[in-house]
Amino acid sequence: MTANNAVRSQIAQPYERSPVGVWVVIAAYNEASVIGRIINEVKSRGYTVVVVDDGSSDRTAEVSAAAHALVRHPINLGQGAALQTGIDFALERGADVIVTFDADGQHRAADIEKLVQAIRAADVDFALGSRFLGCSDGMPVSRSVLLKAATLFTQLTTGLRISDTHNGLRAMTRRGARIVRLRQNRMAHASEMLSQIAASGLGYVEVPVTIEYSAYSLAKGQTIGDALMILLDLFARRLYR
Amino acid sequence: MIAQTVISTLLMGVVAYAASERRRSPVVAWLSIIAAAAGLYFTWMPDHATQAAIWAGVGRGVDLVLYIWVCISLIVLLNLHLKLRSQIELVTVMARTIALAEARRQLSEKAGPRRASGGNP
Repeated sequence: MTANNAVRSQIAQPYERSPVGVWVVIAAYNEASVIGRIINEVKSRGYTVVVVDDGSSDRTAEVSAAAHALVRHPINLGQGAALQTGIDFALERGADVIVTFDADGQHRAADIEKLVQAIRAADVDFALGSRFLGCSDGMPVSRSVLLKAATLFTQLTTGLRISDTHNGLRAMTRRGARIVRLRQNRMAHASEMLSQIAASGLGYVEVPVTIEYSAYSLAKGQTIGDALMILLDLFARRLYR
Repeated sequence: MIAQTVISTLLMGVVAYAASERRRSPVVAWLSIIAAAAGLYFTWMPDHATQAAIWAGVGRGVDLVLYIWVCISLIVLLNLHLKLRSQIELVTVMARTIALAEARRQLSEKAGPRRASGGNP
């Protein structure tokens, strides 16, 4: 190895490419109280973490300095927009596998490996986390009913045979990430991504994951009102090009 | 006659606006064109408007034209909403470009001292 190559690899390792090429994208908006712990948990497993601070007004950006990379939206755009920014960033930095991970602490870092292994074992481009195949601790009945209705809606509109929808824990290959073009800035991005997966014809697999609900994550979660807004967003998006 | 001319001019304006929006939001454009065409027809065929109004349970032909006008207003409002959404998409692209450029700059700044400490000229 020449001196130049040695230096290049020194620079590249921490910032440009993790040893296993797995990049974890965390979209965060006013998550200063939990984001530090989430970053450390994911980093401790050897993944490259990119946090997209979606115009937070608290100390999210400062706390996220521990991440390998921090991308800051100048204004709040929504989770869908933040995820797309993170995916774009990871792609341009050479990620092989991109994992999306919620910032509110309801996902387990241990599940990332399951998703990555599922992609490699099944030779597919997407691994979608499913709390209904796995486990969901502390999920209220109303949330369960809402999610099952949303899953049925997704099955009918996309034709995908899935057991969970709006689960933020998912992994995609580089090829898969390239077909994802989220234009729904807010919560409807999850349905939009599933539509794009269905339209692409690329392979996917569902993976049992654990979702741990807490008072904090439930407060940040979706309500029936949000679900209606998602439906309206999806409908409105079909009315213009 | 004066009222008919004024209403027709306004409806023709709606048709022109809808035609100009046809590419961006075809559903909204066609809804506007159909509603405006119905309005034009009933404006110049008041007897038919009255018959259609009675059939629809409105009562008077002029009320039917008024309701059509309200429908057109709502469709145009929907179109403005869609336009706003497409503007937000442009803002998103711009904010993303700025955010990514800033992140690249920060990474190269972080990498800079490492290169220096590695003894590379």
